[in-house]
Amino acid sequence: MTEFIHIPWLTILVFLPLAGALLCLALHRREVLCRWLALAVSWGVFVLAAGLFAAFRQGGAGWLLYEDHAWIERLGVRYILGLDGISLLLVLLSGFLMLTAVLVSWKVRRHTGFFFALLLLMEAGILGVFLALDLVLFYLFWELMLIPMFFLIGVWGHERRIYAAVKFFLFTLAGSLLMLLAIIGLHLLHTAGGGAPSFALEALRGTSMSTTVEFWLYGAFLLAFIIKVPLVPVHTWLPDAHTEAPTAGSVILAGLLLKTGVYGLLRFGFPLFPAAALASLPWLALLALIGIFYAAWIAYLQTDAKRLVAYSSVAHMGFVVLGLAAWNQTALEGGILQMVNHGITTGALFALVGMIDERAHTRQIAELGGLWGRVPRLSFFFLFFSLASLGLPGLNNFAGEILILIGAFQANPLWGATAFAGVVFAAAYMLRLVQGVIWGPARGAVFWPDLEPREAVVLIALALLVLWLGLYPAPFLQVLEGPVSDLLAQLPQTLNHGGPP
Amino acid sequence: MTWNDLVALTPILILALGSVAILMLGAWWPKRRELMALGSVTALAAALTAAVMTPPVEEIRGMFGAGPYARFFTTLWALTAALTLVLSGRYGAERRFSGGEYTALVLFAAAGMALLSGATSLVGLFLGLEAFTLVLYILIAFHREDDAGAEAGLKYLVMGAVATGFLAFGIALIFTSTGTFHLPEALSGLDPASGMRPVALLGWAMLILALGFKVSLVPFHLWTPDVYQGAPAPVAGLLATGSKGAVFAVLLSLTAGLAVGWDDLRPLLWVLCVLSLLVGTLCALRQDNLKRMLAYSSVVHMGYVLMALIAAGAAGHTALVFYLTAYVAMNLGAFGVIASFSTATREPQELEDLRGLGYRHPLRSAALAIFLFSLAGVPPSAGFIGKFAIFVATLDAGFVALAVLGVLASLVSVYYYLRVVVVLYMSVEDAPSLHPGTREEGAVLALCALATLGLGILPAPLLDLIGRLIP
Repeated sequence: MTEFIHIPWLTILVFLPLAGALLCLALHRREVLCRWLALAVSWGVFVLAAGLFAAFRQGGAGWLLYEDHAWIERLGVRYILGLDGISLLLVLLSGFLMLTAVLVSWKVRRHTGFFFALLLLMEAGILGVFLALDLVLFYLFWELMLIPMFFLIGVWGHERRIYAAVKFFLFTLAGSLLMLLAIIGLHLLHTAGGGAPSFALEALRGTSMSTTVEFWLYGAFLLAFIIKVPLVPVHTWLPDAHTEAPTAGSVILAGLLLKTGVYGLLRFGFPLFPAAALASLPWLALLALIGIFYAAWIAYLQTDAKRLVAYSSVAHMGFVVLGLAAWNQTALEGGILQMVNHGITTGALFALVGMIDERAHTRQIAELGGLWGRVPRLSFFFLFFSLASLGLPGLNNFAGEILILIGAFQANPLWGATAFAGVVFAAAYMLRLVQGVIWGPARGAVFWPDLEPREAVVLIALALLVLWLGLYPAPFLQVLEGPVSDLLAQLPQTLNHGGPP
Repeated sequence: MTWNDLVALTPILILALGSVAILMLGAWWPKRRELMALGSVTALAAALTAAVMTPPVEEIRGMFGAGPYARFFTTLWALTAALTLVLSGRYGAERRFSGGEYTALVLFAAAGMALLSGATSLVGLFLGLEAFTLVLYILIAFHREDDAGAEAGLKYLVMGAVATGFLAFGIALIFTSTGTFHLPEALSGLDPASGMRPVALLGWAMLILALGFKVSLVPFHLWTPDVYQGAPAPVAGLLATGSKGAVFAVLLSLTAGLAVGWDDLRPLLWVLCVLSLLVGTLCALRQDNLKRMLAYSSVVHMGYVLMALIAAGAAGHTALVFYLTAYVAMNLGAFGVIASFSTATREPQELEDLRGLGYRHPLRSAALAIFLFSLAGVPPSAGFIGKFAIFVATLDAGFVALAVLGVLASLVSVYYYLRVVVVLYMSVEDAPSLHPGTREEGAVLALCALATLGLGILPAPLLDLIGRLIP
């Protein structure tokens, strides 16, 4: 066991895809090789992540793995990576979804080597975000994720790709640059209070500051994170980015990038500024509830299948944030589990829309329809993941949503009741999607081939996970128990923190 | 002048004497590429000497420093000159630049920059500054058949002459108020107890104004875009990095010794910094020409360096020197890419010229993208660490508004840098044929790109080095 711990698993996890990306760039002329290389590397990362999950399935409090090395000592920046139950689940999800993304991009023919290099670079950035425990290191990975996504949207996207790519980059950068100032401010407050210069999360926790300062610093962190989530007033970059992104881009965007926002809030925002975070909970709940209904309504009005799924992401992330805002064991575990669930179902739906688009060259709901009779296997998966997405009991989203709802009822019955109505709305837009795409009259001549084995493998793997998470989520929740109660202990219990303002 | 002084001057003597030797050699042996290569070797020799030797004296005749600080910049500028000469090899040959004169001028410019960076007296400052500005007037207009170059040279000459006038007058006033040229004592004129304080303040204001011209701080920046656009790309690179960096290096020694009076000067610098950030950013947004965009972006970057100067203290000064070093790597690289794409008849400056180059010339386009992301301050790059260090120092010194403005400027700047990246990678691939580039050019660009990324990923050694040499 000690041998196992002395190998720097976390560094390997981050640097394996990075090395793969560089290799892909170097070999970019040999397109087939690059594709297989990307598959091999993302498979390797997934196996590593699954191995870590198997090793730490019992969960437990504190860091399961931890690495700490000097990096830029003069500025007080260290290279610290750490893994607890929350990061473990998200790392596992990243490994799985990246593998999916590589597989659904198998037919990319333009600049193939460059494409797969970007995917792997993205994986390194995302894993880094989920593992970094030094704020500057975290910021570095946080920004590093943006660059490959910018290129993925801008080079392989659809008609308005450049607009969407630049909007995505500027929106997310706007939040994070203010966060950088807040990080520096926190560091300086810590140093002024007599602490050794440091950017480490552990060291900066409990830095004493006035309420006003705490409010401002937390505000900067919060803004960066809710843009990424995205919560309703700052969500406008997401539909554009999703609509224009290539399939793999959408899968990663919805499945992983949105999660980094919630993760940042949990890992850094709340522990660093407990009082301000506590005060912000009702507001977060309010925004989350508005988001659930607003996004559901907009989703219902969409004519483009991909845009509909994109808006459904905003609504689903509203549920996750509500779980955070309720701030008790049940709701928090549910929220984190829901991140994983949403990553899987939405990833699958984007992959399916992408497969339809590859065949039909359209994503307009009005131009599709009647697929059930012609491509039954594809239609089956479409129906299956749509049902999962609207929260059918027995499938994965139900497990997360019910925990969030129970937790929300405990915190404030009004929140729980309102969110419950949101589930009905979700049913409305998902059923409209299913109705428009696979039922109804067939429009146009459909003579497409049904799923190929590669696509079937991806969808079956995703579907099995949906069933596993829906029927028996216990192993995943077990991992979360320790870290979530740690988190809760950092803020005073808030069962009676009042209704929405 | 004693033997020890001469020994201490060795690196600069290598540059200056090498310059003269190559000038004479060129008269008998007019081979362009060979002379430029010889020039690079000379500059490298000077850089190496400055890096490894320990001079017997710390200061030469009360004029120039020979300590670690001066030697660091001597190394940096000699390296810059060497890289500039390599980039000029094919570029110059195709434009029929005479090898001897051109090489000699670049080496001489490096000597001037090295002297200026290490100046410890006002006379040394004046000599160093004039030594390389005079050379740059010629270099900017070196391509005789290019009208834009001649115009640019003239513009820089007129502006530079005015600045020189202010500089000389400012130095005279400071001398009047204190009776010495040696910096540590010359700064005492600002002491409120001194009866000559108003004179000294006026002198200082003129000094800052003149130096502001050289580093193109707003409102003294108007020459910058035209001169950059007109100058040959390698010269523009030298102009953007070396000449500005050397001025900031001496500004650091000027203000570091300023025990009194700093509080009176700081508001002036503050205003210049804010203006440079605002105006530079807004103007850069509107450029469709890469060189003009880089010119305005250099105005913004000088604003950042000024921010580090205002923050002062060990943290601010370390950040300043680190930022200058990073700036050399990424900006010289950016101009180097333009130079390496240039054909015998034209330079690809307009954004339109770069359409889809990312796929036609992947390596150099990737290098350009790295330089631009670094200029924008996106991690992991030297530009990010530089800005980060500056923001830490600025906030620590209590200038919250300045730091917020810097962050906002940095956010907007991403837009104009991304525009270039978008053209490189996301537009239809119908770029006109550009030069495939030579192996030497590729090596220089690779070196700059490696430095840009390397200093972003492992900045600790350089930061430690700088921390030791800040006076």
